[in-house]
Amino acid sequence: MVSVDAALTVALMGLATYSTRLIGFLAVSRLVLNARATRVMEVAPGCVLITVIAPRFVTGDMGELLALAITVLAAVRFSLLSTVMISVISTGLLRHLLG
Amino acid sequence: MHSLSTRTLMHSGSAVETRRWGELKRGGKHALPVIIGLVPLALVLGAQASQKGMSIAEVSLMTALNYAGGSEFAAVELWSSSPDIALIVAMTFLINSRHIVMGATLAPLLKHLPYRKTVPALFFMCDESWAMGLTDARSSSRPLSFSFHYYLGVALLLWFNWVAFTSVGALIGPALTDIRAWGFDMVFPAVFLVLMRGMWRGRSSALPWVTSLLVALGAWLWLPQGWYVPAGATGGLLVAYLSGGER
Repeated sequence: MVSVDAALTVALMGLATYSTRLIGFLAVSRLVLNARATRVMEVAPGCVLITVIAPRFVTGDMGELLALAITVLAAVRFSLLSTVMISVISTGLLRHLLG
Repeated sequence: MHSLSTRTLMHSGSAVETRRWGELKRGGKHALPVIIGLVPLALVLGAQASQKGMSIAEVSLMTALNYAGGSEFAAVELWSSSPDIALIVAMTFLINSRHIVMGATLAPLLKHLPYRKTVPALFFMCDESWAMGLTDARSSSRPLSFSFHYYLGVALLLWFNWVAFTSVGALIGPALTDIRAWGFDMVFPAVFLVLMRGMWRGRSSALPWVTSLLVALGAWLWLPQGWYVPAGATGGLLVAYLSGGER
């Protein structure tokens, strides 16, 4: 059911990923951060999140861009659950209408 | 006197247990909107993996041990009967390099906890559990009040959900129609944008965030697969560091 190659690959993937989860934590947990580094840590989470979704903005599809714009506007105003519902429904509708 | 103090101790012990359980449940409840998006994504990943020749057990093993969706989609993309192990592992590290920054931001908040608790808990850190734990800590009135059990509630539920539904996806693979058509893949931008709203710190956030967005866009268009993640994240951090002297 699990080939040797597959077992080796996923075990090494797991090891690589767990190392990324620990490296930054272990490095910083031994440091006392100065004011400047603390401010960098404050904006860092947003930098990571916007980076992860950046490829979504690369599209020439009008429906896709419109859905994204609706999602951004909803996220500025509404709670998590409302935003998710508005976003999924409008994206689904726009894809059916314009796709 | 003796019996009184013993009773007080026992009472406060169970109060701590009750509070921890309450925090676990609160985390689990907050994770539910995220699961709406994770379930279809997990089904798609499982289905694609089975089409590439991975068995159900292999899919479960990958999502349980690696537990990082972006890198798993990349691995499935590169998968074959004799996978190029070095390439897949290198790609996994690159895409997940953002965890290095994420772990660093948690470190000051987890200082009061021993490594025997934090090191295992970090295995379950994903974009959502990390961001929700941080947002919860920052919205609290007390400074540095990271709720470890709230984080665990989010993280453990999301992990279990991910492993379970990627496996179901591998099982029913061919029966799945195109889930993307229903718009569920837009859940992640939605969740991330709401979390970013909570992280907004006025104009000092704007420049680094816009930099990250632009660098990531450029890297996505012009660099090899995977590089946009470390490029975008470090671009924003560099600007944050360089402009940090003002204020």
